[in-house]
Amino acid sequence: MDFFIKYLLSILIFFPLASVVLLLFINKKNEGLLRNLASILSLVEFIFSVYLFVYFKPDTYKFQFVEKLNWISTFGASYFLGIDGVSLFLILLTTLLTFVSLISSYRYIKDHIKEFVILMLTLETFMIGTFASLDVLLFYLFWEFMLIPMYFIIGMWGTGRRVYSAVKFVLYTLSGSLIMLFGLIYIFILHYDQTGNFTFNILRLYNTHIPINLQILLFIALFLGFAIKIPVFPFHTWLPDAHTEAPTAGSVILAGVLLKFGVYGFFRFAMPLLPAATLMLAPLVIIIGVIGVLYGALVSMVQKDLKRLVAFSSVSHMGFIMLGLFAMSAISVDGSILQLLNHGITTGALFLFVGMLYERAHTRQIADFGGIAKKAPILTTLFMISVLASIGLPGLNGFVGEFLILIGSFNHYMLLTIIATSGIIFAAVYLLWMFQRVMFQGITNPQIESFQDMDLREIITVLPLILLMFLIGFYPAPFLERIDPTVVHFLSMISRHGYVHNLIKLKMGLSNA
Amino acid sequence: MLDISQVYNINFLEEGMLSVIPEAIVIIFAFIVLFLTFFEKLSKSDNPYYLSLISIGFSMLYILMLSGRTIDGFYGSIVFNRFSVFLFIGILFSGFLTILMSKNYIDNFEVPLPEYYSLILFGVASMMLLVSSNNLIMVFLSIEFMSITAYILTGYLKGNLRSTEAALKYFVLGTFASAFLIFGSVFIYAATGHLNLYNIHFFIVNIASKGLVNFGDIKIYLAIGLILFLVGLAFKMSLFPFHSWTPDAYDGAPTPVTNFMATGVKIAAFAIFLRIFSLIYNFNIMDFNNILWMLAILSMSFGNIAALMSSNIKRLLAYSSIAQAGYILVGIIGGGYYGYSGTLFYLLAYVFMTAGAFAVVIIFENFDLMSLDIKKYSGIGYKYPIVAAAMTFFLLSLAGIPVTSGFMGKFYVFSAAIKSRYNLLVLIAFINSAFAAFYYIKIIVRMYMPDKEELIASLNGVQRGGMSGGSDQGKPSGDFGIVNGKINEELMIVIFICLFFTLLMGIYPQLFINFAHNSISSLWNI
Repeated sequence: MDFFIKYLLSILIFFPLASVVLLLFINKKNEGLLRNLASILSLVEFIFSVYLFVYFKPDTYKFQFVEKLNWISTFGASYFLGIDGVSLFLILLTTLLTFVSLISSYRYIKDHIKEFVILMLTLETFMIGTFASLDVLLFYLFWEFMLIPMYFIIGMWGTGRRVYSAVKFVLYTLSGSLIMLFGLIYIFILHYDQTGNFTFNILRLYNTHIPINLQILLFIALFLGFAIKIPVFPFHTWLPDAHTEAPTAGSVILAGVLLKFGVYGFFRFAMPLLPAATLMLAPLVIIIGVIGVLYGALVSMVQKDLKRLVAFSSVSHMGFIMLGLFAMSAISVDGSILQLLNHGITTGALFLFVGMLYERAHTRQIADFGGIAKKAPILTTLFMISVLASIGLPGLNGFVGEFLILIGSFNHYMLLTIIATSGIIFAAVYLLWMFQRVMFQGITNPQIESFQDMDLREIITVLPLILLMFLIGFYPAPFLERIDPTVVHFLSMISRHGYVHNLIKLKMGLSNA
Repeated sequence: MLDISQVYNINFLEEGMLSVIPEAIVIIFAFIVLFLTFFEKLSKSDNPYYLSLISIGFSMLYILMLSGRTIDGFYGSIVFNRFSVFLFIGILFSGFLTILMSKNYIDNFEVPLPEYYSLILFGVASMMLLVSSNNLIMVFLSIEFMSITAYILTGYLKGNLRSTEAALKYFVLGTFASAFLIFGSVFIYAATGHLNLYNIHFFIVNIASKGLVNFGDIKIYLAIGLILFLVGLAFKMSLFPFHSWTPDAYDGAPTPVTNFMATGVKIAAFAIFLRIFSLIYNFNIMDFNNILWMLAILSMSFGNIAALMSSNIKRLLAYSSIAQAGYILVGIIGGGYYGYSGTLFYLLAYVFMTAGAFAVVIIFENFDLMSLDIKKYSGIGYKYPIVAAAMTFFLLSLAGIPVTSGFMGKFYVFSAAIKSRYNLLVLIAFINSAFAAFYYIKIIVRMYMPDKEELIASLNGVQRGGMSGGSDQGKPSGDFGIVNGKINEELMIVIFICLFFTLLMGIYPQLFINFAHNSISSLWNI
């Protein structure tokens, strides 16, 4: 057991890969076995990750479950893993959503099942690896390879213009990542120039002193990489396409986990590595975030396609998270991180419901639906809960996160926060309006007449997400108390640099006078 | 009186012989293979093939036995050191994989077999000689030796128009480049009075340190010589303005030979350039990095744009190899320990990923132009899962996606260039590799995500109307690869060797980095 706990992160990372090896030996024709085995293995993976939660010490910001092995000593890169309060929950979210999306696709994915489950589990390995690695090169390795399974999932099982969307997704994120890699290598080289050691250890790279002009340029480089992944407003154009054409499982993973990497990247890399530039450019980033909130909400309102609507609502929500993160007060960052989880849970659930509707009616156009509430009461109820959670109804998870973000950033950016608040109202408009058009009204489409309610498998699929919505909504304390120390440390790291930065500016000013 | 044994020192000769043993083994075997033509029965069998493989193995064995030593042979015109060892291994692997690939390919043509294998062995030996040569004359001779085998091999498919055309083009342009090379050597000799690279090196170092007055005159001659020499080598490295032979020669040559040219010739040309550059270019004569800088950017941009527009897979790989040459050059520009070892690492990685890709091309090649169109790769992902997965991996490696050797190589050379503050160059290189990902992904799209409607239309000649996204659950599960692959053992061995090394160099590159470091350190141990 000791061994298990000590190497838990490695086990979590490589267990899905081992499962892939196992699945490779199963005959392609044996589809039932492939599906069930993959689901069970991902459930086991999720149970393993719960141990992470159980054995996590909540009262410290220090990295836990640390593993360190030499990897490429020439570059000072090591196999360096560890988690803090933030990555803990993101890893849990990853394992949960992988399990959920695997069981959600029993009906949706009909061909090439072997390839599908293998890609999903491979993807899981790389997602967990990205969250767990504290070595920049290792992080980048996981970060970029993650694109490839996702690309196949969109391209092979997508609908409509799937190839276009998949290629756009890869090229967009790849170009951002490469510019980001340029920035990361530059910091690595700067650290070498200052200390004479090659190291990719993020904790050591934090101590690199970078002149402010250079910080701004590097921040732009890293910003491009992370902002495209989030995606922040002007770089969001790949998202609606990828989401719309991806299969349900792909959308769930894409919205639930992949979008989180951008924010996580800011949190772990861009902001602590370049604190002065962060302090300087925070207002700009927040303005972009708030534009994203409004833009996403307004565009969502006019969408005719259900999936596109949910996709654009993601843009809006991610804008909120950027606002909270860059407002840089403890409460708002707490809220942002919590909202990351919430967004993963609620948007994941929304995509699952859209997928269920699509499986039954073979259309995603809002106009083709109507009157489902009479036919499928369970679906309607659960869908309603998810919609309300996404809107931010008190008592459900969305409210907690948004509330924390708004009160946290109100002090610093009053006007922008007020503008962003309108995003919640818009969210209520587009989501409830959509819900009303889809679920109520009279039945116009003959296909709805034979609409079936959710079966047991589908209820199991969404139930964990629904339960989490209530849990976080009513009792967020277990989550916040683990996130909080990390966030406080994160802020102290940035503000310490900010203090030094101000001191230097003061001195410069005096010496000039 | 001089004793004759003092002049022709026996030890000296012995050492000379020792320094060329790995090459000599290959050459001896090449002759043995050639003599097989005298025996009708033997030449028709698989013997030439096995003998060639054995010779590579023997040569490898001798390299391992001699590795770690520094042996000057033939009055300093051949140097065997750790630098050579690294590249020998790369070249031998390239030759080994080429021979494996050739087995079933070349049987399809009515061409004599033993000569083919012996030419490949001669090619391998010439490349090894080139890498270890330390004298301008020796460099020229080995380059000529290498080029002539390459010309013959390119045109080896007698009666095949494209093969002959490619050979002729390659020959004419290649001779032209050789003229530049020899002309450059003449100028360098005129300026310095030495042919030995070490002597030239010391001569320049001396002059630079003493600051002699007449340095100015020498400088002009030296600069002209070095530029002309660079042109000659750039031709072999297929850098942008001197690349024009590459697409035609790669396209027309038999595919194993294409692989040989893309991996072996390139590795040898880059290696000798690296050696000469570090010895005699890197001085205050003129800023060669500025020239290389432009060559690198032009090569990668041109290569990528041209590859994007080509639909023939061999041409595409040819253009991509021009782009890769640009990336490799970034390492040389980056310079220093870091940059040069990065260059070596990238070269080795390049051998495996390119050889793997060409092996897959051979599988699906039907000896007509149509089978090389990437449209024909539609759906092979489902029909040949292992081969297609391997191809995907090689393409991702060429594109520089992590977990592959291509990423590590790129990371290595690019970070070296950033270390020397060539920021703009690296930024352009990064943008280029993002751009390049597009055409590699284009092939992957063909393999795994074939356009169902287009395919059906092309099969039946029926024009399907607009599919309104209603084709529910994607594609039918049947296979729709048009191309029939001919998978055989040898090609699978090639693919697995390449996969193994591409993956290993991507996941745990430390072994190879140490090796490259080691060999670079011997470059400065004069």
